[in-house]
Amino acid sequence: MKKRTRTILTSTIIAIVAFLVLIIELYPIGITIVNGFRRDIIILSGQPFKLSQLTTRSYELVLKNPGFQLGMKNSIIIGLLSTGISVLIGAMASYGIARFRFGWRNSLAYSFLVFRMLPQISLVIALYLMFTNLGIRDTVGGITLAHTSFNVPYVIWLLLPFFTAVDKAYEEAAMVDGASRMGVFFRIFLPIVAPGLVVAAVFAFLNSWNEFLYALILTGVKAKTAPIAINGLIGGETLTWGQVCAAGTLMLVPVFIFTLGMQKFLIRGITAGGVKG
Amino acid sequence: MKKALFMLLLAVAMVGMVSAQTINVLFWDDAYPRTLMERIPEFEKATGIKVNFEILQPPQVFTKTSVAVGKDKTDYDLVCVDEGNIPLFASLMLPYDQWAPGKVFKKVDPSTVTPAMLDVAQWDGKLIGLPINGNLYVWMTRKDLIENPKYKAEFKAQYGYDLGVPQTLQQMLDMGTYFYKNGIVSGGFGPFNGGPAGVFGEAIFMWESFGTHFIDYVNGKPKLVVDKAKAVQGMEFYKKLMAISPKGAETMAHVERQAAFCADPKGVFTQFIWPAQIASYEDPDKSLAAGKIVYSAPPSGPAGRFAIRGTWAVNIPLASKNKDAAAEFVYWWASKDIATWLVEKNTVPARTDALTNPKFAASKPWLAAIADSMKYAAARPRFKEVAQVQDIVKKYWIMGITGQMPTADAMQKIMDETQDVLKKAGY
Amino acid sequence: MSSKKLVTDGRPARNKEGKAREHAPFLFLLPALLVVFAVLIFPIIFSLIVSTFDWPLSEGAGARRFVGLGNYIGLTKDPEFWNSLKLQLGFIFVAIPLELLLGFAAALLLNREFFGARLVRSLLLLPVFFLPILSGMTWRFMLQPRYGPLNALLLKLGAPEITWLGNPVTAYIAIIIQDIWRMWPFMFMLLYAGLTAIPQEMIEAAEIDGAGFWKKLRSVIIPLLTPTILTAILLRIIDALRVFSEVYVMTEGGPGTSTMLFSLYTHRQAFGYQKVGMASSMAIFLLILSIVFALTLVRKNMSLDVLEEKAGG
Repeated sequence: MKKRTRTILTSTIIAIVAFLVLIIELYPIGITIVNGFRRDIIILSGQPFKLSQLTTRSYELVLKNPGFQLGMKNSIIIGLLSTGISVLIGAMASYGIARFRFGWRNSLAYSFLVFRMLPQISLVIALYLMFTNLGIRDTVGGITLAHTSFNVPYVIWLLLPFFTAVDKAYEEAAMVDGASRMGVFFRIFLPIVAPGLVVAAVFAFLNSWNEFLYALILTGVKAKTAPIAINGLIGGETLTWGQVCAAGTLMLVPVFIFTLGMQKFLIRGITAGGVKG
Repeated sequence: MKKALFMLLLAVAMVGMVSAQTINVLFWDDAYPRTLMERIPEFEKATGIKVNFEILQPPQVFTKTSVAVGKDKTDYDLVCVDEGNIPLFASLMLPYDQWAPGKVFKKVDPSTVTPAMLDVAQWDGKLIGLPINGNLYVWMTRKDLIENPKYKAEFKAQYGYDLGVPQTLQQMLDMGTYFYKNGIVSGGFGPFNGGPAGVFGEAIFMWESFGTHFIDYVNGKPKLVVDKAKAVQGMEFYKKLMAISPKGAETMAHVERQAAFCADPKGVFTQFIWPAQIASYEDPDKSLAAGKIVYSAPPSGPAGRFAIRGTWAVNIPLASKNKDAAAEFVYWWASKDIATWLVEKNTVPARTDALTNPKFAASKPWLAAIADSMKYAAARPRFKEVAQVQDIVKKYWIMGITGQMPTADAMQKIMDETQDVLKKAGY
Repeated sequence: MSSKKLVTDGRPARNKEGKAREHAPFLFLLPALLVVFAVLIFPIIFSLIVSTFDWPLSEGAGARRFVGLGNYIGLTKDPEFWNSLKLQLGFIFVAIPLELLLGFAAALLLNREFFGARLVRSLLLLPVFFLPILSGMTWRFMLQPRYGPLNALLLKLGAPEITWLGNPVTAYIAIIIQDIWRMWPFMFMLLYAGLTAIPQEMIEAAEIDGAGFWKKLRSVIIPLLTPTILTAILLRIIDALRVFSEVYVMTEGGPGTSTMLFSLYTHRQAFGYQKVGMASSMAIFLLILSIVFALTLVRKNMSLDVLEEKAGG
């Protein structure tokens, strides 16, 4: 009995500490969300928070802002495009690595892994000069291609564990029936690993959605993404904190939905190839 | 028959060329170009020239111009160049005297541009494009604070002269110190963040006010000519001003300065402003200070009064294939009609006749102050490597004025490292 | 590897499509190889070439000029380069151990069931996915002197009013705190997963031997977690080497150059000073540094074979 009381007491204390840590940790996020519902001038004059300050004005302003509209539209298009391309190309490559044995297999697989870890700043200057010469700077296609550069190697390694876990029997059976490799891959294999593809797609999309440096340098007006538009909100003439927070909150919605919905795969998602097994 | 067909084709091609003429224009992002955009359809209708415009934050305008405008190739037919970067781009731009005479709009006589601004586009003895806005330091003082009877009486009793719009830096320090004791700050002086150009402007302002140039052209080359003792005096004085400015003034960019001046419930005594931003300060939606601001020329230092200039010029790249159409657009933009309308919309073009139009005198109190400041216009030194020197000045100026480094040491560092940059650049 | 056979070995289809099979892996890999070549390998080669030139961003600044290793030699003589390298390494060596410590402590604390445990564990991960630029902006806002909520809170707690982002030391601390705030849950996530994978019997066995908390930690938990910890640290180092956007929006490298991390200085060289060649030499330098860390990580902690054995072969 005594021991049980002690256990309950410890649990309670730990729960309290845990929730305290959580509150402190989430405070900056909470501030961002709340300030999206307050007016700029109220935030900047440092007035203490009151319920009566809440308004959707900043949201209205931001949603009417043509720069942000365009940024959102581009972010969604670029995110979907680069995700689609990366998952397709990445899945093929991952399959190639998972199912075939060839001399340069290991070095190739590890090269992809290293490529995923290269700093963007090391590539972006060259990409800038290249894109300018090709005339694809500040185009949706150009920035999509740039996002594909980090998403393809990422997807390859994210999918490898999913792919190696599939029993080869299915494909072998189909090939006995005379189906081609490609046919087997698209018709038999991909449906089996669909859950893995969804995970890869979600994380590839988030990578692209959160990306800033490439968009900063490789886009300007036409292809700018939402993070660039948000950055423009404080870089312009007035410090529109309410609008920044409103726009930021809108950006966070898919991020948090995916994060909380993908609990099981988070570790794979953020380490992709970084943890044994 | 063949000949007729050929003629027809030629005619079609010519019509096509004329009607489909499009110019690509790169604008910087602030209220001024944004306001102008509203009227562009009129220009397109009048001339048949289609205007594709892009609008970017000033640092991006600089990068984009750097890459997109070359000797033989250009993405733009018209670009905006910040005055400090004219030396860098001068060799790529068409001198104004070679711009075409206008077809629909008359070529603008450069003498319509306020003389203090015309200088902006002068390089190597040539006019490289046309200055397009009238941006230079103007001072703002809170009217309600200096007219408050209690403050007036107390100040007079303590300092022996009347509280008012500060005419000298010393007065500004006296009044600011007085207000500071009453819990009212004097708005952080410079835009310290968001690009080093702002700090460079503040440093030059103080150095000039205390009697020294920083860099001069000697035999066609930029040369460090600063008088260290005077420069240190300027920095020391600025350090005193920092003591009465809001906490964190040294980290403020334009937007934060504006937040400080416009959103502080107690009010802020005084601060400088680029006129390009006045529209926001006078917008009651964004500013608690709207309608309560007196505008004036900057206060003077021991060596005189100086208003630092920060103006944009519009330039046509030599590589452009649509030079005439681009020129046409500028002639429209800089015409009396459009300039006057721009003033009406609280922006500041460079045309004298628009800025001094009597019909705005009462409703737009800043115009008189701008005109006054023009008399004292001072430029920041400019040369191709100015970006590096700006960073050096920014770094040590802030260390000096915030007490992280003795001002004399900070000044020495500025001089040594600037000298180094100039040497490496081969001057 | 040697024990594994070619997938189609011994199948009747062998002779019929023998030739096609040889090309099969190549076909599957071709699109990825094309992308990698176009947007990774080629830019690297191009950077290497640019880095041997005096290459002004604008043609107005003068002509391009081959300078060989001139830019690399120039780097060694540039105090700001060394400064940015020092700041970058300091950032890594201060932030990551603290993140590890916090993450480890939280993992130990939360590795048990209590009311709301699952909720806490899930929500704790949100900052990792908070957009980096929003994080930078939020911290910049919170630390503002007059209206910043964090500053107001500190004042209430009796701290002196500090212009966090105005002083070189506190600004540097602030960007590190920002990073710790955002990334310690990452450490927590990995270590928690590692902890739950430790067989309960091993811990119980230690308890039967009378081991206290610290003893258990030292003799069972830490040794078993070491591979996970190393992986986590390496992943974080690789990630921290490329920090850009948070700091760019938070301080832009200022005040002065006190938070000018490596990426920020590279960016400034190229797009501020117009020295693309110089910036490219910095890019190559960082690239080599990253590849060294990445290879270490790959060698130590990742293996295709393990992946396959785990999958049951």
